[in-house]
Amino acid sequence: MAGAVLTVAALALAGCSSSDSTDTAATASESAAESATDEAVTDALPGAGLKACEVTDVGGVDDKGFNQKAYKGVTDAADQLGVEAIVLESQAETDYAPNLQSFVDQGCSVIVTVGFLLGDATKEAANANPDIPFTIVDYAYADGEITNNNVLGQVFNTDEAAFLAGYLAAGTTKTGKVGTFGGVNIPPVTIFMDGFYYGVQKYNADNGTNVEVLGWDPAAQSGLFTENFESLDDGRTFAQNLVDEGADIVMPVAGPVGLGSAALASELGTDKLMIIGVDSDQFESDTANSGVYLTSVLKQMDVTTFNAIQAVVDGTFEGGVTVGTLENGGVSIAPFHDMDAAVSADLKTQLDTIKAGVIDGSISVKG
Amino acid sequence: MSDRSSGSMEFERAPIESYVSNEAKSNVLSKSKIRRAKILGIIMLLLSAVVMFVLAPASQGIATFGLSFPDDKFQLDALAIPSTAALYVLAMVLAFLGGTQFLKGFQRKSTLILGISFVVFVISIMIWATAGQEFSLISMLVSTIARTTPIALGALSGILCERSGVVNIGIEGMLLGGAFTGVVMGSLLGGWIGLIAATITGGILALLLAFLSINYRVDQIIIGVVINLLVLGLTSFLTAQILVGRPEWNDAPIFPAIKIPILGDIPIIGPMFFDQTVIVYAMFGLVALTTFMLFRTRWGLRTRSVGENPKAADSLGISVSKTRYLAVIYGGMVGGFAGAWFTLGTVGRFDEGMTGGAGFIGLAAMIFGGWNPVGALGAALIFGFSDSLSQKLALVNTSIPTEFLAMTPYLVTIVVVAGLVGRARPPAADGKPFEKQ
Repeated sequence: MAGAVLTVAALALAGCSSSDSTDTAATASESAAESATDEAVTDALPGAGLKACEVTDVGGVDDKGFNQKAYKGVTDAADQLGVEAIVLESQAETDYAPNLQSFVDQGCSVIVTVGFLLGDATKEAANANPDIPFTIVDYAYADGEITNNNVLGQVFNTDEAAFLAGYLAAGTTKTGKVGTFGGVNIPPVTIFMDGFYYGVQKYNADNGTNVEVLGWDPAAQSGLFTENFESLDDGRTFAQNLVDEGADIVMPVAGPVGLGSAALASELGTDKLMIIGVDSDQFESDTANSGVYLTSVLKQMDVTTFNAIQAVVDGTFEGGVTVGTLENGGVSIAPFHDMDAAVSADLKTQLDTIKAGVIDGSISVKG
Repeated sequence: MSDRSSGSMEFERAPIESYVSNEAKSNVLSKSKIRRAKILGIIMLLLSAVVMFVLAPASQGIATFGLSFPDDKFQLDALAIPSTAALYVLAMVLAFLGGTQFLKGFQRKSTLILGISFVVFVISIMIWATAGQEFSLISMLVSTIARTTPIALGALSGILCERSGVVNIGIEGMLLGGAFTGVVMGSLLGGWIGLIAATITGGILALLLAFLSINYRVDQIIIGVVINLLVLGLTSFLTAQILVGRPEWNDAPIFPAIKIPILGDIPIIGPMFFDQTVIVYAMFGLVALTTFMLFRTRWGLRTRSVGENPKAADSLGISVSKTRYLAVIYGGMVGGFAGAWFTLGTVGRFDEGMTGGAGFIGLAAMIFGGWNPVGALGAALIFGFSDSLSQKLALVNTSIPTEFLAMTPYLVTIVVVAGLVGRARPPAADGKPFEKQ
């Protein structure tokens, strides 16, 4: 009996994958394409007839985080360039390869894959289809891994922005403790936590304080992880856990899981818990709990994804790596919105100095 | 029926023809029992050695465990334990238990003693990891109850179905379905309506399970899997198509924690059991109610009889299919109710696949708990505990990798299901469709 149960559980998990990825042709793009054809043949948008296809990671295009943000790049391209936007959501890691294959079969002009975890699947698909341009968010391949150089990796120096967020958190906390937790212990997640940690240390060094960071130890590269990007329940309990240990500002780096932390913060009140959002400005995307976000660490993958699609439309696409930094605006921190009053003028000036220092290289965000 | 200890089970199952060689059989049994006693003794001695030679020398300083929240009415002082000394004492306790078990054996009590040894070992790990640091023990205990709730309710859902002879693999789907309708109806019409809607959703999914398995005798495992996949696909689709465009439909009120006067102020026990949301109270209530109904009422006797021997039940005039329908629908409703925990009980919004496998853990808790509601609650508590312990251990930066800590609930499942607590025996007719002759 037990054996049967476990086997079936495994079956069910594997089974969720291929069968029910939701295939949603974006209506926005269709209407854009239609209106483009309606207007005038001579005035057709440059990308008309091309297909920009996105494979998301688990979490889906409505995760208010990185999948959604990258998808915005695709829909922007649909609106402005007239390409057709198509998205396939991965329900599990076993979906990556079939989703990619399905896009190859549909004759996509450019395939966008979102997330570090799609790295291997994208590499295989790109090497099997050397004529299709690919672009992947959060992954950079080593030289020679992609035989035809048809993949543009988008990586972000997120630690630069997270460094600012850490500095801000250390300057704002009243308990002297701030916390963070991640989804899975992988570089695109931990880079946030590293930057956050060293930002706090920098504040301590500058101001003679002793603010502690709970949930991440950059030396050991170990800390608090939910081991998933789906369970909002985890987001709530993990944040509660950090609050119980004395933290009053928490940065969840786990996609939609962080929404659970935000729900807790709005229940407890911002004097007990504030949240630092990641990827997109969650003040704007998480409208239900927008008041709890101190700031968000922004990763502008919509811009880099749009640029990659534009390059395909213009015929100038080249594989390689593009890096988003504080300097080129690829990463940044969001405005404080409702929390503006909680951040002192002094701290704002300090943050500007730090930002300038990071950009000119005089401050290292790696500790 | 009520005697589920491992000893009597062997005889229960012994085929009639082996009656003559009963004496020989009991010799074999006692030999294997002796072997089991020795093995258990060795396990305990090994645990003791780990504490003595690995943990104790590596720890120094005081391990501090907070026992009160800052705004509790009665403050308890934090528990300060000198780590090295405490670990040596615990190692001695383990060595004593292990030695006695190995030499003499605790017979019927040996499973209990093994359980105690594990508890002692876990405490040792906690002291070792926290040496020189501190964490809030009470926070861990409260979070244990929170983590336990959906698992225990999921297990209860499974028990109700399987006690009547219908295997329910679809708990995960029922949770997810309940979570979804709970949040939509909760957003539109308020939390209580959401809770009712979630319960009804679970009932409808169970009706599908009952209809296909009882009327059409479709393989019950397959129906369960289909329910899981169907609900996952359907809720993901509806989320993408409807909820994304209407965020106000995905913003349900969260049930607040209700503190019971006086009881809620008792240190430790108060925050754990008497300062919780209605769903947690309902979980404890349902466990008690279901235990009573299954083992103390006519309905329960009938339900168990169709799960054990439907032919006999049928010949006594009990309608097997009607009894099974009732039990399965009741089980499904509990599953849907459990789903409401994920949205109305914690975060107030739905996201795809947000139940994260809790239904499957519930299934494991059901088996671990021997298809008994109280046993399943105990199993769910162990899962909830190991889950929240792993969070705290990650916070105090132990040298145990976080991935390994995250595995602990599943490791516990394997260890337990692999037969440490005697063989778990499912209802005899579990999963077998009944055909009236």
